[in-house]
Amino acid sequence: MFKKLKRNLKIYLLLSYQSLKIVLQHRQGIILFLLGKILRFFVIFGMIFLIFSKTKMLVTYSFNQVIIIYLTFNLIDTAAQVLYREVYRFRPLVVSGNLDLILVKPYHPFLRVLVGGIDFLDLFLLIPYLFLLIFFITKESFPFFSVVLYFTLIINGLLIATAFHIGVLALGLLTTEVDNAIMIYRDLLNLGRFPIDIYQKTISFIFTFFIPVGVMTTFPAKALFNLLSFRNTVFAFFISFFLLSLSIKLWQLGLKKYQSAGG
Amino acid sequence: MKYLSVFTLTLKEYFVYRLSFLIWRLRVLINFLVPFFLWLTVTKQVKNFAGYEQKSIIAYFFFTHLFSYFILGTRTVDIAGQIQNGEIINLLLKPISFFRFYFFRDLADKILNFSLSFLEISIFFSLFSFPTPQLNLEFLLPFLFFLLIGLFLSFCLNLLISFIGFWTTEIWAPRFIFFVLVSLLSGSFFPLDLLPKKLFILTLFTPFPYLFFLPVKMIASPQTLINKVEFNFLISMAIFWLIILYFLCRFFWQKGLKSFSFWGR
Repeated sequence: MFKKLKRNLKIYLLLSYQSLKIVLQHRQGIILFLLGKILRFFVIFGMIFLIFSKTKMLVTYSFNQVIIIYLTFNLIDTAAQVLYREVYRFRPLVVSGNLDLILVKPYHPFLRVLVGGIDFLDLFLLIPYLFLLIFFITKESFPFFSVVLYFTLIINGLLIATAFHIGVLALGLLTTEVDNAIMIYRDLLNLGRFPIDIYQKTISFIFTFFIPVGVMTTFPAKALFNLLSFRNTVFAFFISFFLLSLSIKLWQLGLKKYQSAGG
Repeated sequence: MKYLSVFTLTLKEYFVYRLSFLIWRLRVLINFLVPFFLWLTVTKQVKNFAGYEQKSIIAYFFFTHLFSYFILGTRTVDIAGQIQNGEIINLLLKPISFFRFYFFRDLADKILNFSLSFLEISIFFSLFSFPTPQLNLEFLLPFLFFLLIGLFLSFCLNLLISFIGFWTTEIWAPRFIFFVLVSLLSGSFFPLDLLPKKLFILTLFTPFPYLFFLPVKMIASPQTLINKVEFNFLISMAIFWLIILYFLCRFFWQKGLKSFSFWGR
């Protein structure tokens, strides 16, 4: 077991190293890309400042709380992009039939098609997001248990993101449709940039209990603010387990249907 | 007549890839939800936010949804790829104007996006019982003026980004930063006149507010804008950017063609 884990880690590091080499081929692009992302982050940050220059609360959240939700969203969104960037490149593998070359290799295909292309550009941004988040969390004194639950729910949010990405891979096997599906996921996740409570009740309900964007981004912050009920906490863990199981089943179904028709 | 064929063929292309197009429209609607509900919540709590009440914020985002995709909708994004794989030669050898060809492709894209935006937003508003905003026809002429300016600026800016393809293969990064600037500085996330006055004036020196912020303001709530900035200044800046971008487009197109070479087709 330990030997297998060590081998997989070695392959993962090798794939990540290759990914870094590819990124370094586009030096001009790196600067503009990072500049664009930083600009967007700070303008939205500024917009939150602008809103709170005229009001003390947004729904029931204070300035500090809205910032924590915004940073939580950024952390989960960026971490998912860092880890699962390879999903964006899955379609050509299916269409060309080159996926066969990965499936016959003696390691789990997820190692290559799911986590095999770490995104170093987003990794640069993940670090300042994390520092800013810690800064804003330490500005208020939250109970230790809430902080632990907060980080546990962030990991839970990442598991939901994993389920979405595996689901997209499965969809790619079944229909070759990847690009639109992944962009829909990104757009849906963007709804969690601000507290999910800003939306009308029906929309808020849908994006919490059917498409759990709220569970991914607002629930961890609510747990930190001690606003999350026990029932919703249990639901958060249940939905991630359910979606992850469902996506793996879908992937297995996709593999059965995959005809290797490319070329 | 030949450009009419370009127009109809572009429309037909969308109906070939129906699923992709439907998903694109779904994405557009999802992206509308975030700023709309955010500012709706804000104006529910603060009755008057820098001159914006709930009614005016609803009108602003209603018209932004309609006109942003009409103005920004473009097919010129294909050009950079065509330069790099040499396909552009096929177009250059034909007895048609390159610019008119893309102008009519853009037009088809815009009309289709506008019609569907109108349909979606009308269904959305009736489904959630939001009042349909009234058109402010008092500023109809300035609206038409800024709408035309917005259309041409968008066309020129998109062409300029694509022309980078003549000199580098890394188009995605400039396009990404352009997309970020447009989404932040043209008013799709918040009405620009909510910014502190000095900052707002500063944004007016860039071409981005002239894309769709001004046409939308003219038809949604022109009063809040008129109180903050000289009308003549807006017209002068819009014309200034139009001239600058037009000449930049011509310049880089001619330079690009001179440096372009391809073989094997």
